[in-house]
Amino acid sequence: MLRRAANLSGDADISASQGDEKMDRPELLKTFQRMATEIAEKDFGHVTEEHVIADLGIDSLGMLELVGSMERELKIAVPDEQLVGIQTVRQLLDLVEKRTKVLA
Amino acid sequence: MASDQFHAKLYQNFTTFFDKAEQERRWNPYRDVPWDRINPETPEFVATCAETFLGVESFLPDYIRKGMEAVRASSWAQRSFAANWGYEELKHSVALMEYLMRSGKRSQEQMFDFQAKLMEQEWKRPFDTARQMTIYGTFQEMATFVIYLRHEALAKQYNDEALAAVYRFNARDEIAHARFYEDVVKVYLEEDRPGTLSDIAHVAKHFEMPGVGIVPDYDARIELMREHGHVDRDIFLQKVYFPVLKYLGVTRQELVDVAKRERDERRAAQAAQ
Repeated sequence: MLRRAANLSGDADISASQGDEKMDRPELLKTFQRMATEIAEKDFGHVTEEHVIADLGIDSLGMLELVGSMERELKIAVPDEQLVGIQTVRQLLDLVEKRTKVLA
Repeated sequence: MASDQFHAKLYQNFTTFFDKAEQERRWNPYRDVPWDRINPETPEFVATCAETFLGVESFLPDYIRKGMEAVRASSWAQRSFAANWGYEELKHSVALMEYLMRSGKRSQEQMFDFQAKLMEQEWKRPFDTARQMTIYGTFQEMATFVIYLRHEALAKQYNDEALAAVYRFNARDEIAHARFYEDVVKVYLEEDRPGTLSDIAHVAKHFEMPGVGIVPDYDARIELMREHGHVDRDIFLQKVYFPVLKYLGVTRQELVDVAKRERDERRAAQAAQ
């Protein structure tokens, strides 16, 4: 079920910024790319919304870690039941964006 | 070294579990399954799924030996549970093998050949400590419970009451095991929350069901089981992972924070070298 992501040696220092809760879509995607790169220690800078998350080598529990990191960064909370059925980056960003708009 | 309170709580957990098991959950795979209600028309793929379950359950000697090694020094309660667990799990493979032979789907010779093939491989314990293996057992028994229930429904669909009964008895044992493990993990959390959270995150990250790599044709078999048992990663999240975390009183965010802290510590250590 779980696959290990390869270590990327010499990766740049990535520091999470105190993000504004309201982000536009390209910024949300960049946040996703940054979080995925940090967690998996593999470059996800090329990822688009069309990508299927499992095809990126991120399994279901890896996805939860990614969502959790985005929740922390954006100061939002996604109910567990809404995380079921998320297959693509687009679906994940839709979910996160919706929560940021709920807070707005 | 664990506190007296730790041992006292686990003692209570085990005695409650064992008393209830003795009173309510003992079953005889030869006498309590309605063997006269096998459906001879049950399709072959259903038998293949049963055989896959049998394959995984048949590594019992490895599970018992290596599981006991992990908990032997930890507590009386955990090693006593491990002894009883072995007995209860034995009945699962007995019942599955009986089904395959009595249904005519497999001959006795085929079953002995299958067992010999299985024993060419050996299950490796995925984690080292009693606490990690208990956490592993929580997820693994709960997942097995969910999968057995789904296959019970499949057996009922084909009016195979004998196979449905086998799955129901097995599932009942699995959920009892999962609950015991959960209760032990709760005690671990009370004893050392940060350490236990770290282990939960670690086990979840590296979790695999026990048959991976050791049951012949595992990938194809699992694909069949997933297809017909309607089990996928979303079911794992919905029916196993989230309910276990909720029962333990652990949030996703706690595990994310642990993972981040450990990643940062590892990077700092690498940078310092």
